[in-house]
Amino acid sequence: MTSANPIPPPRPLRRAGALLIALAAGATLALSGCAVAEDGPVAAAAPTHLSGTVQLWHHYNGREAKVIASIVDDFEQRHPDVRVRVHAGQQDTKITQVVSSGGDVDVMLTNVNATLGTACKTMSDLAPYMRRDGVPDDAFQGIFAQATAFEGRRCSLPTTSDVYGLYYNTRLLAEAGYTTPPRTLRELEDMALKLTTYKSDGSIGTLGFNPLIGFQQNTSATLGGTAGVTWTKDGDSAVADSPQWAELIAWQHDFVRKIGYDKLKTFTAGLGDEWSANNPFQNGRVAMTLDGEWRVAFIEEQAPRLEYGTAPFPVLAGSGQEYGGGFVSAADIGVAKRSGNKEAAWALVKYMTTDTDAAVKLANGLKNIPTLKSAVASPALQASPQYRTFIEASAHPAGNTSPVTEIGSTLTATMDDFWTDYQRGSGGNLKRRLEKVDTDIDNALGLRRAK
Amino acid sequence: MPTKRALSYVAEHALLLALAFVFLVPVVFVVLTSFMGGNQTLTGALWPNPFEWSNYTKAFDTAPLGRWFANSLLYAGTSTLLMLVSSVPVAYVLAKVRFRFSGVAFFVVIVAMLLPPQVTQVPLYAVWAHFRVVGTFWPLILPHLFGSAFSIFLLRQFFLSIPKEYIDAARMDGNGEWGILLRIMVPMAKPGIAAASIFMFFQCWNDYYGPLLYTSENPDNWPIAYGLASFHGSHSTDWGVIMAVTTLATLPVVVVFFFAQRTFVQGITLTGVKG
Amino acid sequence: MPDANPIATVPRARAAAHHTPNTPEAHPKRAGRRRTLRSRLSIGSMVILPLIGLVAFFLYPLCANLYYSFTNYDLVGSPKWIGLRNYDYLFTQDPRVGGAARNTLWFVVILVPVRMASSLGIALLLTRRKRAAGFWRTLFYLPALVPPVASVVGFVFLFNPGTGPINTLLRKFGIDGPLWFNDPSLSKPSLLLLGVWMMGDVMVIFLAALLDVPKDQYEAAELDGASARQKFRFITLPNISPVLLFSAVTGVIAALQYFTEAAVASSVANGKTGIDAGPDRLLGYPNDSLLTYTQWMYVQGFNSFQLGYAAAMAVVLFVVAAAVIAVLLRRAGMFQQKGA
Repeated sequence: MTSANPIPPPRPLRRAGALLIALAAGATLALSGCAVAEDGPVAAAAPTHLSGTVQLWHHYNGREAKVIASIVDDFEQRHPDVRVRVHAGQQDTKITQVVSSGGDVDVMLTNVNATLGTACKTMSDLAPYMRRDGVPDDAFQGIFAQATAFEGRRCSLPTTSDVYGLYYNTRLLAEAGYTTPPRTLRELEDMALKLTTYKSDGSIGTLGFNPLIGFQQNTSATLGGTAGVTWTKDGDSAVADSPQWAELIAWQHDFVRKIGYDKLKTFTAGLGDEWSANNPFQNGRVAMTLDGEWRVAFIEEQAPRLEYGTAPFPVLAGSGQEYGGGFVSAADIGVAKRSGNKEAAWALVKYMTTDTDAAVKLANGLKNIPTLKSAVASPALQASPQYRTFIEASAHPAGNTSPVTEIGSTLTATMDDFWTDYQRGSGGNLKRRLEKVDTDIDNALGLRRAK
Repeated sequence: MPTKRALSYVAEHALLLALAFVFLVPVVFVVLTSFMGGNQTLTGALWPNPFEWSNYTKAFDTAPLGRWFANSLLYAGTSTLLMLVSSVPVAYVLAKVRFRFSGVAFFVVIVAMLLPPQVTQVPLYAVWAHFRVVGTFWPLILPHLFGSAFSIFLLRQFFLSIPKEYIDAARMDGNGEWGILLRIMVPMAKPGIAAASIFMFFQCWNDYYGPLLYTSENPDNWPIAYGLASFHGSHSTDWGVIMAVTTLATLPVVVVFFFAQRTFVQGITLTGVKG
Repeated sequence: MPDANPIATVPRARAAAHHTPNTPEAHPKRAGRRRTLRSRLSIGSMVILPLIGLVAFFLYPLCANLYYSFTNYDLVGSPKWIGLRNYDYLFTQDPRVGGAARNTLWFVVILVPVRMASSLGIALLLTRRKRAAGFWRTLFYLPALVPPVASVVGFVFLFNPGTGPINTLLRKFGIDGPLWFNDPSLSKPSLLLLGVWMMGDVMVIFLAALLDVPKDQYEAAELDGASARQKFRFITLPNISPVLLFSAVTGVIAALQYFTEAAVASSVANGKTGIDAGPDRLLGYPNDSLLTYTQWMYVQGFNSFQLGYAAAMAVVLFVVAAAVIAVLLRRAGMFQQKGA
């Protein structure tokens, strides 16, 4: 500081400052000594009687939360001395935040792709419990049998999976002369353009298919899953080396231009909420849409008279992606490391993931796809034709998912961010911009892995 | 030139009226929309047809509005009380008691008041997490027991304006520092204390960032500002109901303002114009 | 928790601006006598709570934050010392922090001056009002009272491109309204409209300062035949310049932490909620145009739990804010009597 400064650094302040920094360093070290302990030993035999409270955190809302509540009730009836406190409707990031900051979490139910990579270190290794209680690894079907482990630790088990496909309004398709859904992205585009109607002022009346990234379930993950794309190679980002990405993005960019970006944006902003009864597919404003299997249950409740069909999502022709499967994601459930009641917590996890009746009830209620093999085979699984599509897709070998990494949702979010920006602009430079996405993802991974 | 003056008078009034209209339009539309049915709000209609009072009852049915208001009251009220306990005495010391480090102390108050709270956010969060109180109101309320820089600053400015003679007289009468503060300063600085309280109360009432960080994981502890921001999430196109909740969230603040307007204005004038 | 709440700046600005030039009573003549033990104890009891607060809630976290900024820390494990890695990522790698800083800068260089100019303009109009002065003042002040979250929710609805009343009105005049909060190039200007609407907090300060300008100065200038413009330039401005400076500084500090309005606008305009649409997916909508520096810090710190990185971002914010504060303290010479 110069002498012109009206505030010369007061001398006592400096001495006090030095003292404070020493104090702060001491306090910081003392406080950060509270790191989460490693897993303790697991009892040799499962306890015969369980009691106490279990705090369950999950991300379901409204109708879906009621389904979870009813499964929890069943569990409490089996273990009358266990009380499960349910914290419903929590976003995955919030659950991770709560468990990291020492909140009361015993059991957490989140999304594998977005959350497991960041949350796994806060969760107990379930492998010893599974060995002890005879839960085999291959009790679960599809790609999530192994995907719920991360870096060699079995931190969670899958509850149900989400399979993405095409929903189409049979009445609107019939009016346009179509009887079958599209099987390639080109067909999807052609049909969508024909199904789109415009009002007298030029704005969109009914939209065949909304190609905008960011619209409802249109993400790089779900669309990428229809084009056989590659996300990572040897733990590093590899999107620029995947020709499928370039082709998929170019196709989408072109599609958006054929209707008009601004028109689509205006139309989208005026639509009802995805999760409400005003969902644009349910009220006929969008003729075809990419959505998860749960939409069947929403339609059943909110728009029971809608005439619609479901099919695997069309694929990018020539990409190597086979028609019939698609992007799959899963919900997974695990025990928090800091849980003070691990045996009861594990019992709840075991019940929700490996009890056939519970898994069937969960699937019937959520209309998600069971991940437990015995539940898929169960005759009690109520499967309407529309829902059956997704069960078949889940078992299809072409099913795929985005990789679980330490940066969680940042992996796909980086791609989404690029894509939402790209779809707005005039295009071009795709290869270079995808290389930038690779760099960004690798840098984020690097920061997370820094030692 | 009287005509020119009249002309500018008319022009100014016209401008003022136009501005007033522009400032009122948002309020009018929000309130009007709060009386529209769910489907009507999506048609771009400007006038409710028919008037739907049900949005307000629906608001109370679908959201725990009472709880949110109670939480806001708890957060803002307790914080204000704690702020008074901690900040009034120290403001008096800073204004009226001469001591070695008073310059440094005031400097620190100014800096603490002006620095964005985010610069201390990470370690504070770590501390609250260490004591396992994230999810409760403690991280939001407790710091006020240990002083609020802005309130200290404001109150000090008020105390400065009270003549020293009153203090000397009180000291002659055998009053200690606490006696002077409680018997002389506090009664004389009532408008200032009221203003500091109101500002603290409004700041907590309107706070979104604090609850987002600390209490959002526990819906039982949502104040109205956070609740309103989340409410649109589950009802994103039921604009009628959302606007009803928006109106309800604003109402208490406006009512408090109108009842306390004199204190408010008096407080501001006292701090500002005299000096 | 102090927030970017603009209302809070009302008394700040007023009080400081008017008091800074003279703080005579803070320093009465040297008291000749020694304080008794009892008096020392009472004074001690008056300052003990804030003193604890100063250490626990200000000095400690400031120092600890500096330490964390050199670590990889996720609250789950212990902080791992990684040297300047966080700063390296911040300045050379983070794909979103540059845009976030630019957005914050936009609010600093556009929002603050525009708010001040419009506040001054309306305050000038109001100084001429003799009749119903209170009514007009209240009318223009009221929007500043509306909780920021409520006003943002309201504005995003009003400006909804498809169904909002504003575009409906425009359509009646044959104008095709823009996308407002859904257009990356208009989302910040849309928030600017909101900021101007809520300018009451600054406006009342200016109004009081304007009314405080001695009348005789104007009268003397009128005798000299000064024009209205000259009177404003040579009398009004110099008289209110301390208020303008303080309001500019508090405005800039508030803009540096701009969070609530942008965050809520993004999530309401996006209209997207759902199972795995966490806040990191909602913030910044559309196309990161509303992602501010503090929001990105929040996402990195409390969604991704990279607390070490968030601490590094906080250090940079600290440096910038401290520089702005230093400008204020230098210019206003607030402590001249004390320091030297």
